[in-house]
Amino acid sequence: MPTNSGAYDENDATRQTADPADGIGHVVTSPTANGSRDVPDAQNAASTDETLNAHVKKRAVGGKRAANGLTKKGWIWAIAAMVVVVALISVFLVIRQKAEIVTDRAHQADSVSIGLKLAPTNLDIRNQSGTSLDQVLVGNVYEGIVARDSHNNVVPGLAKSWEKSADGTIYTFHLNDNMTFSNGDKLDAEDVAWSINELMVNHYHSSELLMNFKSAIAADTDTVKIELTAPYSDLLWVLACRPGLVLDRNAEYDIKTQAVGSGPYTVAKFVPNDSITLKANPHYWGGGKAITQTVVLRYFADDNAAVNALKSGDVQVLAPVSENLAGPFEKDNEHYRVAAGDGTDKFVLAMNSKGAATSDIRVRRAIRHAIDHKQLIASRGGADKPLGGPIASLDPGYEDLTGLYPHDVDEARELMKEAGYTTENPLELRLTYANTYGTELGDQLRSQLKPIGINLKVNMVEFSTWLQDVLKNKDYDLSLVDHNESHDFSQWTDDQYYYNYSNEKVKNYYRQAMAASDDSQRDALLSKAARQVSEDAPADWLFNYRITTAMKTGVTGFPLNLNQTLLPLRDVTYVPAQR
Amino acid sequence: MRFIVRRFLLFVAALFVISVVIFAALRILPGDAPSVMAGLNAPPERVAMLRSQMGLDRPLAVQYSSWIDGLLHGDFGISLLTGRPIGSMVAARCSVTFPLIVLGLIVAIAIGLTFGVMAVLTTRPALRSGFHLLGLIGGAIPALWGGLLLILLFGRGTGLLGVLPSQGFPETGWDSFRTAFASLVLPALTVGVISGASLMRYTRSALGDIMHSGYIDQAMACGYTRRAAALKVGLRLTMPQLVSVVGLMFASMITGVMVVENLFALPGIGTGLVTDLGNRDLIAVQSELFMLAAFFLFIGFLVDLLHRFLDPRLRYAVQERA
Repeated sequence: MPTNSGAYDENDATRQTADPADGIGHVVTSPTANGSRDVPDAQNAASTDETLNAHVKKRAVGGKRAANGLTKKGWIWAIAAMVVVVALISVFLVIRQKAEIVTDRAHQADSVSIGLKLAPTNLDIRNQSGTSLDQVLVGNVYEGIVARDSHNNVVPGLAKSWEKSADGTIYTFHLNDNMTFSNGDKLDAEDVAWSINELMVNHYHSSELLMNFKSAIAADTDTVKIELTAPYSDLLWVLACRPGLVLDRNAEYDIKTQAVGSGPYTVAKFVPNDSITLKANPHYWGGGKAITQTVVLRYFADDNAAVNALKSGDVQVLAPVSENLAGPFEKDNEHYRVAAGDGTDKFVLAMNSKGAATSDIRVRRAIRHAIDHKQLIASRGGADKPLGGPIASLDPGYEDLTGLYPHDVDEARELMKEAGYTTENPLELRLTYANTYGTELGDQLRSQLKPIGINLKVNMVEFSTWLQDVLKNKDYDLSLVDHNESHDFSQWTDDQYYYNYSNEKVKNYYRQAMAASDDSQRDALLSKAARQVSEDAPADWLFNYRITTAMKTGVTGFPLNLNQTLLPLRDVTYVPAQR
Repeated sequence: MRFIVRRFLLFVAALFVISVVIFAALRILPGDAPSVMAGLNAPPERVAMLRSQMGLDRPLAVQYSSWIDGLLHGDFGISLLTGRPIGSMVAARCSVTFPLIVLGLIVAIAIGLTFGVMAVLTTRPALRSGFHLLGLIGGAIPALWGGLLLILLFGRGTGLLGVLPSQGFPETGWDSFRTAFASLVLPALTVGVISGASLMRYTRSALGDIMHSGYIDQAMACGYTRRAAALKVGLRLTMPQLVSVVGLMFASMITGVMVVENLFALPGIGTGLVTDLGNRDLIAVQSELFMLAAFFLFIGFLVDLLHRFLDPRLRYAVQERA
């Protein structure tokens, strides 16, 4: 049989006589038709030699044709067809891409895409925490009674001016004229007072920042009076954040998926975890209308994906760009600009002040001496700044406290010895932190703490688990988290906060600072409090994270400082390079 | 018919058990949506207030029954955090993931079946081990690395042949069909090449086994060449096995393509599920998991039916018993 088929294989001339359908029918059914399996064989046996031969020939030819068609030439054809399809798609896309570039050349682009990392879950500015929401909405879509600039100073917002009563309890704000929301509604003092009162009644997000609040009243259409029970030196700054935002009391919309504000942009489209499209607000009341008509904010969870998007031109700005991936952009300074900006992100290594071993201040001090901050910063790319205390450089009361606990392994070892631990008899500690910060920090801390007799167990968890275990239940030895809030010193005065830290002296300084009548007095008291906290070592401040931004040359007006919390887009423009 | 009814009842019972397991498992997880929403600095009272707003302070039995009640009415609920109907959220994600899987499977079948059959049919030992090696290498490529390689080769702006978009999905979705399709080409190739390699190994071993069986001898006795016998008889016989494998592949890809979705910044099911779980958006997660489970079961159900269709022996076996 095999020799037969071999012979037929070489014979091409018999092709025309083939009838493949016949061949298939017989062979395929024969094995399945259990009982009648022998039928064709029986037929064959009954035939004479000639008919048998003819039969075999016919079938074999049929089989052969199929085999020949599908194996040799068929494969070649299939591969050729695939290549052609791929080539066609490629050509089509190249043409399309060229067309896009041509439209881009028309001087200033009317659309800019910005790549960001953390996406807001929803647009509910009243309830949803997270600075990624402030970043998009505050100043762009919603505006506050006052605003912040990129140096974290308070500047006029909806109010063009304000004054404070002599005892510091009544603030009078004078609003701009003819203000409207993006839906055309008028914005007046009633809206302002209503927004603030709603915030306080319903305990919306950050309402706790508005301390000593008594009432907000619209004195007339463009004057708002805010009355306090006692002076509060941080009031203006707080009003520049979420508590001061003004919403439209007459508008009905789903605040989780839409936003109606008075800012230079409106939310045109919101795709959770993917992108937010902002369009210039045609009704903007202010002089400084948005320059670029459309701004698309795109969110990349994956750092590599983000870098590829900038390379391929899908986005023109990337903030933040992972330090370790920014190299190629830094080298290519003809096409890209890479720069770091200041922020208020503090990477806090909290040491539970009521923990079994960490309640011993010698252990906490030893840990602070043992940590080599320069090494931590260098391994992250070198843009971050060392930070010796709880206040970052853009916040009031900042003072360089890095000298309090210089890197000194001998001192650290000595302190640990006093506390009763050596490398032979090490102390076991557990570090709990969210997996979003990567494994490197934990590994480095473990190796830095090993020589002083601490056996660090690194426990990486999901952020929600961290919230539960550390923030809520305070069940931890060491914890690491990025406190990116600004003006957040009050954490250190709250006994209930997860630090378990309590010092009456600090609380007093802070109370006085908040009651201070002028800013310099406030700042002096805050820095005293910060120094005290740092000396007590309830935590180590690993570094002040600085955001590295990479953008195409031709992008202007993009803020570098604080751009993960405050990202005014009004002046951002992009002029594509002429080729 | 009785088979279908029995299978269907089993399907429903399994879904009920799954719903209980999902619900219970998610309540055991540490952390909850209100604390995620409230953030780091919120006072505990605020968290408590959000919790009661979201209805998470009700007894578990009440929460469960209201969820099931919604499911029975075809209402998957409203996400705690995004405030959107979960049904439409999942639909939007499916419109990315399913086309990606289907395209990936087409590539996988084209590669896997072709090379698998070629590996069996080739008579040259060198070629045979070449195919063997190809299968091993293809199966060993990590999706992340393979995807990056494809981006480096074909990604617009980065690639040597920079022709295809490598990042994201158009906001307008399938309304801009060309862009949408183009943005799925590279991800589908990544998925397809890798699963194609394992499909190739399945095909090779399944067909290889059949090649030594009496069926092939029979076919060749009837005058078929070895090649023809393999293609006409062998493939037909391996079909049920391959359908099972492809069915399983399809099901596992739903979440399995997550790495690829992440790499190409596609808003698909896998990435969505992980985000929702991270935010402890329990209502969303439980409905999503439920839908996935239902879908897995459905695929299994479908594979069973297909088997019956493709392999008449199974039908006869049932008839004989009946």
